[in-house]
Amino acid sequence: MRLGALVLKRKRWEPFAFASPSLALIALVILFPLVYAFYLSLQNFDLSVGPDYEFVGAKNYVEALFKDPRFLDSVWNTAVIIVPSLAVELLLGLGIALLLSRVIHGRPIITALLAIPAMVSPVMGAMAWRMMFGVKFGAINNLGLQLGLLDVYFDWFSSPALAITAVVLVEIWHNTPFMMLVLLAGLQSIPQELYDAGKADGAEGWRSFWYITLPLLRFTMAVGVMIRLIDLTKLFGLVFILTFGGPGGATETVAFNTYLVGFKDFRMSYASALSYVIVGGVMVLTLIFLWIQRLREARAA
Amino acid sequence: MAIAIEQTAVVARRVRGYRLRRGVGHALTYVGLAAALAFFLGPFFWILTTSLKGNEDFFAFPPVWIPTEPSLSHYTALFTRSSGARYFMNSLIISSLSMVAALSVSLPTAYAIARWRFGGGFLSAFLLMLRMLPAIALIIPIYIMYKMFGLTNSYLGLVIIYTVVYIPFAVWLLVGFLRDFPIEIEEAAMIDGCSRVRALVQVVVPIIAPGLAVVALFAFIATWNEFLFAIVLTGIETKTMMVLVTSFTTGGTDAFYGEASASVVLGVLPAFAVAFMLQRYLVKGLALGGTKG
Amino acid sequence: MKRFALVALVTASLVALVASGVVPVRPAGAARPYEGQTIRAVVNAEYVKYSLSLVEKDLLDKLGVKIETEVIPADAFVAKTLLEFNSGTSPWDLVMFGPSNMPDYGRHFEPLENWTDKLRLEFYMDDIADVYKKLMLRWAGKIVSMPYDGDVHIMFWNKVAFERPDNKKKFKAKHGYDLAPPKTWKQWDDQAEFFHGWGWDGTDRKLFGAGASYKPSGSGYSYHWWRARFFSYGGQYFDANMKPLINTPAALRALEEIVRTMPYYPPGVMLFESEEPKTMLIKGEVPLLYSWTSTGKRVGNPAESLIVGKAGFGVVPGAEIDGKIVSRPSMTPGRAMAVSKYSKKKEVTMKVLEFISLPDQSLKIVMDPKTIMDPWRVSHFKAPAFRKLFPGADEYLDAIQKTFPLVVPDPVIPGADEYQRKLSFEITEALAKRKTPKDALETAFGEWEKITERRGRDKQKAAWGEKMAEMKAIGIEYRADWAQKAK
Repeated sequence: MRLGALVLKRKRWEPFAFASPSLALIALVILFPLVYAFYLSLQNFDLSVGPDYEFVGAKNYVEALFKDPRFLDSVWNTAVIIVPSLAVELLLGLGIALLLSRVIHGRPIITALLAIPAMVSPVMGAMAWRMMFGVKFGAINNLGLQLGLLDVYFDWFSSPALAITAVVLVEIWHNTPFMMLVLLAGLQSIPQELYDAGKADGAEGWRSFWYITLPLLRFTMAVGVMIRLIDLTKLFGLVFILTFGGPGGATETVAFNTYLVGFKDFRMSYASALSYVIVGGVMVLTLIFLWIQRLREARAA
Repeated sequence: MAIAIEQTAVVARRVRGYRLRRGVGHALTYVGLAAALAFFLGPFFWILTTSLKGNEDFFAFPPVWIPTEPSLSHYTALFTRSSGARYFMNSLIISSLSMVAALSVSLPTAYAIARWRFGGGFLSAFLLMLRMLPAIALIIPIYIMYKMFGLTNSYLGLVIIYTVVYIPFAVWLLVGFLRDFPIEIEEAAMIDGCSRVRALVQVVVPIIAPGLAVVALFAFIATWNEFLFAIVLTGIETKTMMVLVTSFTTGGTDAFYGEASASVVLGVLPAFAVAFMLQRYLVKGLALGGTKG
Repeated sequence: MKRFALVALVTASLVALVASGVVPVRPAGAARPYEGQTIRAVVNAEYVKYSLSLVEKDLLDKLGVKIETEVIPADAFVAKTLLEFNSGTSPWDLVMFGPSNMPDYGRHFEPLENWTDKLRLEFYMDDIADVYKKLMLRWAGKIVSMPYDGDVHIMFWNKVAFERPDNKKKFKAKHGYDLAPPKTWKQWDDQAEFFHGWGWDGTDRKLFGAGASYKPSGSGYSYHWWRARFFSYGGQYFDANMKPLINTPAALRALEEIVRTMPYYPPGVMLFESEEPKTMLIKGEVPLLYSWTSTGKRVGNPAESLIVGKAGFGVVPGAEIDGKIVSRPSMTPGRAMAVSKYSKKKEVTMKVLEFISLPDQSLKIVMDPKTIMDPWRVSHFKAPAFRKLFPGADEYLDAIQKTFPLVVPDPVIPGADEYQRKLSFEITEALAKRKTPKDALETAFGEWEKITERRGRDKQKAAWGEKMAEMKAIGIEYRADWAQKAK
C-alpha cells in the first residue's frame, strides 16, 4: 500500500465530526420547526382567539383548497405574475448575455454593473420603483408630463391589470441580471472550436446561434428557468413594498396572503396549512418541470 | 494588371462591406448594452439624486433631475430622527456575524463532502428541496419557538436562522472550491505530522482564501437583504435596514421622501461594493444563487 | 464634652432621618423627581412620534424623563402589539392604541385608579369632551387610558370653487339648484362630477372633483368613507342576533355610489391614506373633502396651504329622509395612550401619561399643524390661541363640536380590527372593479360570519348587544326602509 493512502485512511468518525455542526443546526432550526409547523397545521391554533387549541385533522387543508377564495385568488395572481416574468427574464437575459459575450474590453465591469439589481434586496428595489411610480412626484409621471406623453398625473396602480404589470416590471428589472449571468456562464462554456467548425461549414451569425449556441444552452436555460420558477413562487418582499397586495387583492401572492393570515389575523395553524399547500404546489410544479425536461431530452436524443 | 487592380477593388469593397457590417454590429451591441445599463441602473441614479435634493426640488415641476443644491440633510435626518445609524449598525452586525458563522460551520461540512463524499449525491437533492421551501413555511414555527426562548428582538435569534438557512449554499460553493484543490498538499502536511484539522486550517484555508472571501461576501449580501424573518423577529433595538424602509411606506412616500430615498441608497450600498469587488466571480457565485437567502 | 456629645447626637439623628427620607432635604415638588429615567413608547406613525417630541423638552425639564419612541407602521401595528401582549410581555411602557380596539387591548392595560391616589394624579376628567369620555377610556368598568387624538370627520370645502359667479351660473344651469356646500350625498356627487376635470379656480389647470382616502389598510380608510353614507341610509353593523347587516340595500347603495363616482376623484385615490387628499385640498386641487379634523390645521397653515382664509368647515353630508337631513359622520379610532400592565416602570409612565394629557401640553399637540392629532378636551375648543390660530379657526372648532352628537363609532367589539379590515378590503375590491359591489358585500358578509364563529358567537353577541344599545341611545339604529326613501 502506498504511504499516502495509509496516512489518509480516515477514521470512521471524521466526516461526521466535520459535518455535525451544520447537520445539528439544520436539524434544530429547519427540520424540527417544519415538523412542528405540520403538527400545528392539524390543530386550530388561533392567537386572536386565545392560547388554547385542539386537533382538527385536515380541516385547515380542506378550507385552504375549497373554501378560501382569497387564497385561490392569490394562487392565480402568483401564476399571472410568474409566466410573463419567466418569459421576459429568459429572453431579455439571453439577449443581454449574447451582447455581453461579444464585448471584449471591459466585460467584467459592465457585467458587474448589470448584475447589481439582482444583488440588491427586492425590498430596496421595490421601494425605489414605488417612489418612481409615485403619483405626483414620481420619476415616471414627471418624465411623462415633461415629455408631453401625459397631461395629468397617472396612478400606475389604479387598476388590477396595471398593478400586476408594475409588479412584473419590477420583478423583471430585479432578476433578469440573474438569468443573464447564468446564461453568460453557459455561453462561456461552449468551446470556441464549435463555432470555428461551424464557420467552416458556412454557419455564422444567426444560423450559428440557432444551430450551435441554442442547443448547447438548453440545459443551462432549463436550470435557470427552474431556479427562477421556484424563487418566483416565494414572491413576497417586492409585493409588500410595491403594492401591499393591492389594489384590493389584485397583487396578493401566495406567500403574501399566508403572511397576512399568520401575522395579521394570527391564525397560526391555518397559515401553517397554507404554507404546506404552497410547498406541495411547488413540489408538483418542479416535478412537472423536470418531467417535461426529461421528455425533451429523450426526444432530442 | 487591370484585372489585378479590379480584383483588389472588389476585395477592398468586400472588406469594407464586411467591416461595415461588423461596425454596425458593434454599434448595435453597444447601443443595446447602453440601453440595458440605463434600464437596470436608472432607478439607482434617480434614488441617489432624490436623496440629495436638499430643498424643494423634489416637489418642483418641471421636474428637476439633478439637484440644484445637493445636500446630505436627508442622510442626517435619517441618522438622527429615524435612528438610521442604529439600524445600519444592526444590519452590519447581524450580517457580519451570520457570514462568519455560516463559513465556520460550512467549511468543515464542505470538506467532508469534497474529501470523503459524505452523503453521496444527497447534497444536490437536499439543496434543491431547501430552495423550494418558502420562508413563510418556516417563519411561523420559528416565531413561536423564538418567543418561548426569548430570542425575538435579539441579534442571536436572527444570526442563528440566517446562518442555518445559508449553510446549504455555502456548502455547495465551498465544495466546488475544495474539489479543485489538490489533495497532495494536504497529504504532504499530514505526513509531516499535522492532524487533519490542523492541515485544513493552516494549509488549505490560506490557499482557498479567495474562494472563502467570495462565499463570505455573498453570505453577507444574502443576509443583509433578507426581509421576512427580519420584520417578524426584530424589535426596536434590532431592526435592520430592510425593516426601516417599511416605515416610510405609511403616509405615502411623499411625506418622507428624503429619508426614504436615503435609506434605499444605504440599503443597496453593500450590493454595489460587492459587485465591484467580485466582478470576476459574479458569474459563478451569483448564477448558483449565492445571494438569495 | 457633654455639649459636644449632644451636638454629635443631634447631627447623627438628623443625618439618619434625612437618609431614611423622613425629613425632606428639598421642598416638596422637587424639580425632576424622575431624573434620568427613560420610558419606551410605541406608536403607529412618524407623525405621532413627532407629536411626542413637542412635549419632550417640558417633560425633561419638569419630570426629568425621556421617552424612547418606537414606530410600528399602522399596517402592522395592531398585529405586532397584540401579538406581544397576548403572550404576556411588552417591551413598551406607554402604549398608543386605537380605542376602537379596546376590547382586544383593554385587559393588557393598567387601570389608572391604581395610581391616582398614590401619586396624586390629576387627569382633568371633566375637561374631556363627552364623546371621547364614552369611547376612549374604559375597560371592564375601569378607566385604563387617556385620549390623545380625537378623530372625527368633518367636511371641508374650497370657498373659491363655491363663490365664483361663473361656477355658480354653470352649476345652476346644469343641475337646477344653487351651488352651495353639499348637505346631501346626492349634492356631493353632483358637485364632484361638476368640478372634475377643469379649472374651477379660474385657471386652466385640470383639477379634480373631490377628495377621499380609499386605501384598505390598518383599520381601513375606504371603509370609513363608505360608512358615512351607509349609516345615513339607515345602516348598522349587526342586528340583535349578530347577523351582519353589511350586505343590506343601505350598504349596497352606499357602495354603488362611491364606485360610480370613482372617475371624479384624483389618480392614486386607492392608495391614499390620510394625508394625500388633505394635501390636495390645501393646494387647491380638490374643492371638497370630508376627513379628519386635523385637516383644518393644515388648511390654516400658511407654510403650505394655499387656501388660508378661503376654506369652509361644516358637518359631513347626509341623506334626506322625510324632509330631514340625517348625517352620520364617522368617528374613526382616534388614538389613546395607556400604560402597559407588564411594564416595569408603571409609576414613571403614569406620571408621563398625566403630563402629556395636561390641558396645556395636549393643546400644544393638537394645535400643531404637523401633527395629525385632533382636539379632544373641552378647553381645546375654547382656547383663545386655538380659536385665533388661523382665519376660520373658530368656525372650524365649532363645526367639530356640532359634529359630536352625530358621530358613528367603529364596532367596538373583540376582533374590531379584523372585522373592519376585511370589510375595507372588500370595499376596495369593488372600487378596483375586481368584484361587483354586490359580490364584494356578500363576501364581506361571509368573512364577518367566519370571524364571529371563530371568536365564539355567543361571546360576540353579548359584546355587541352592549354596543348596539349604546348606539341606539344616541339615535343610531338599523332602518330597513331608509335605503329606498333617502333622497
